[in-house]
Amino acid sequence: MATARLVIDGHPIEGEPGTSLLQAWVAAGLPLTENVGCMGQGVCGACRVLVRRPGERLAQTGLACETLVEDGLQVAFINLSRGSRPHPYDLHALGDSWDAIARIDELFPEAERCRHCGGCDSACPKGIQVQQMVNLAAVGQTYAAAELFDDCVQCNLCVAACPEHIDPAHLGQLVRRMTAAMTLRPSDLIMRLHELEAGEQPIDLDAPGARPPAPDAEDAR
Amino acid sequence: MSTGIGFDQALTAWREAAPADSRQLDLPVKELLDRFHPDRKRGARSKLVIGPNAGEACPSALTRLLQSDSLLQDVDIAGAPTLEADVLVIGGGGAGCIAALTAARAGARVLVATKLGLGDSNTVMAEGGIQAAVGADDSLQRHFEDTLRAGHFKADKELVAALVSGGPSAIRWLIREGMNFDLAEGSQRMGGTLLRKTPGGASAARLLSYRDFTGLELMRAVREGTLMQSNITILERHPALELLSDDRGRCAGAVLHDLARGRAVVARSAVTVLTTGGSGRLHLAGFPTSNHYGATADGLVLAYRLGARLRDVGSFQYHPTGIAWPGPLEGQLVSEAARSSGAVLVNGLGQRFVDELQPRDIVASAILREIAEGRGVARDGKVGVFLDTPSLERAKPGILARELVTLRNLARRAGFDPAEEPFMIRPTLHYQNGGVEINAAGHTTVPGLLAAGEVTGGLHGRNRMMGNALLELVVFGRLAGASAAADARRERPRNVGLTHLADWRRAMESQRLPLDRKAPLLFPSYSNFDPVRDRRRGA
Repeated sequence: MATARLVIDGHPIEGEPGTSLLQAWVAAGLPLTENVGCMGQGVCGACRVLVRRPGERLAQTGLACETLVEDGLQVAFINLSRGSRPHPYDLHALGDSWDAIARIDELFPEAERCRHCGGCDSACPKGIQVQQMVNLAAVGQTYAAAELFDDCVQCNLCVAACPEHIDPAHLGQLVRRMTAAMTLRPSDLIMRLHELEAGEQPIDLDAPGARPPAPDAEDAR
Repeated sequence: MSTGIGFDQALTAWREAAPADSRQLDLPVKELLDRFHPDRKRGARSKLVIGPNAGEACPSALTRLLQSDSLLQDVDIAGAPTLEADVLVIGGGGAGCIAALTAARAGARVLVATKLGLGDSNTVMAEGGIQAAVGADDSLQRHFEDTLRAGHFKADKELVAALVSGGPSAIRWLIREGMNFDLAEGSQRMGGTLLRKTPGGASAARLLSYRDFTGLELMRAVREGTLMQSNITILERHPALELLSDDRGRCAGAVLHDLARGRAVVARSAVTVLTTGGSGRLHLAGFPTSNHYGATADGLVLAYRLGARLRDVGSFQYHPTGIAWPGPLEGQLVSEAARSSGAVLVNGLGQRFVDELQPRDIVASAILREIAEGRGVARDGKVGVFLDTPSLERAKPGILARELVTLRNLARRAGFDPAEEPFMIRPTLHYQNGGVEINAAGHTTVPGLLAAGEVTGGLHGRNRMMGNALLELVVFGRLAGASAAADARRERPRNVGLTHLADWRRAMESQRLPLDRKAPLLFPSYSNFDPVRDRRRGA
């Protein structure tokens, strides 16, 4: 396969086939200190890019560590800070689950005003049904909404795409966190915590199993 | 690296033998580790000659970094903008966010400085799970002994006891922060039981998980919690260049580098918590790594220069199953879940060569031995062994689609079908077992400096168990955060500056160490970034 010629942030570069946009950027000698994190696993959401393929009218969003070089690509990094919080809340002050569901509306009032433009859906690099999540959360179907956000990597591209400032990424995390914090009560964990409080799980630092075996026993393992 | 058996020939051998018969290791464990574990390679190590660990050996690349000069002179911080906090947390991964949250909730004003973005760390990449002894058939004592045994009895018992006894309450804390966990099949959310798997080297099922992206689920909840918490200021793209000291040798904050503006920022604090993570991006012994882009040992360098003792710093974990081929995916992790579900390892002759469920250091060394002795599989200049996913799929139809989602995605990106063709894998540099010495409250040997997470040493001895890294960062992130908030109310530094550097430079000169070698690195050697030049940009 021939080397791909592409443009990233205005720099014409050549990329080896099979390499990601991030790898091609570094291989071209360009400094990489931002828009990077896990460097290939596609889980940190830091390397957001806008990609336009030759002959296509619209650009698509994606992650630079998961997008491979292609001839003729036009690429721009999208630098989004995660540092702002337009919809602050305290998860521990939401009250009980009767009130909490109603409070989603107070915390994210814009969610009801979704205009169904689908911008969030097309922005999501993980193919999440973001708009559906927003609509479910707005009518109190918290658990169903939370399940839709299982693959979210908090890249915040849906936040940038939303014309109503709904902040879908943060709404998605709110419903996910609510469902865990308010409904997950495993009995085995609770029993063990009770034992610990009662002092029933002492640790013996000098038990036989806490001492190294004789040297030849280590070999025989 | 030696050459191996050609891919086509190896594939034929694998096909004829699959499923290959089990075979035990035919070398004593000690000899295997001595001869093939990368930590034990002589020549690749050198002794430290200055600092608190002088006389101890570590990998030469790390020795060079630990014995480097600062990027800073006194004059660099003279007119720099100054920030003040009760608690400065350096590093924004799992341990950093959890320490920050805990300190802020205890009333401290917290500053979090991170090199990349908040949460962009090794934590978010963790796949397998988190250990906590919650099962009725399990106990804290078992978890304690399993951890010591896996670490070859080199771990600090007090720290391990704190780790395992903090396990159950760490899980409760995570659930309260909004993290989900897998439940046993058919189990209800209230009153059901957690799904428990058995990590390599464990005597009971103890690994709790969220699908095969436990770290992502943990980081999502904790990152969001940190963003929402009042009293926390977050500085992204602000790596630390040097710790500040006061005239009594106490840590007094750090000098940060504002990457956006190319200039220094002085962050003064009563207490500093180091949560900078590991060092996989040093690519020790030439290995690829599964680590995130920022893992360059910065925290070890800063702490050591200020006089903090390190321990087990020559001990690293090479995860057995990193991708060997294709090149662009080299080093990326194939989760241990593949082996714990039953996938076996096969050499270029179609033979198995080790019990795949042994601890990671043993399995990794066994793979390196196959490669070194010419029984590896060679393809496009890369050498590895096979991870037999097709036989796993035949034995347990549907398992790849159902349980090993991340693995299947990885194969798709590599361009093959894991149900038809085996993975080519080779050990990848995965975890820094040792690090900054701490006590069970998170204090280092330097007053005012605390540490938590992968940057610390003492919990894992010479080998870490799967699932203890996530547990460590939660338990010790909370402990360090609580200690930091309490300590910040007691004593504050005075006459703050870079006073420790004069002593450090004298020590370097007395050992004829070159003063033009600067650290921390901040970014990998291939980042095309030079911190010395970048600092001139903002001047």
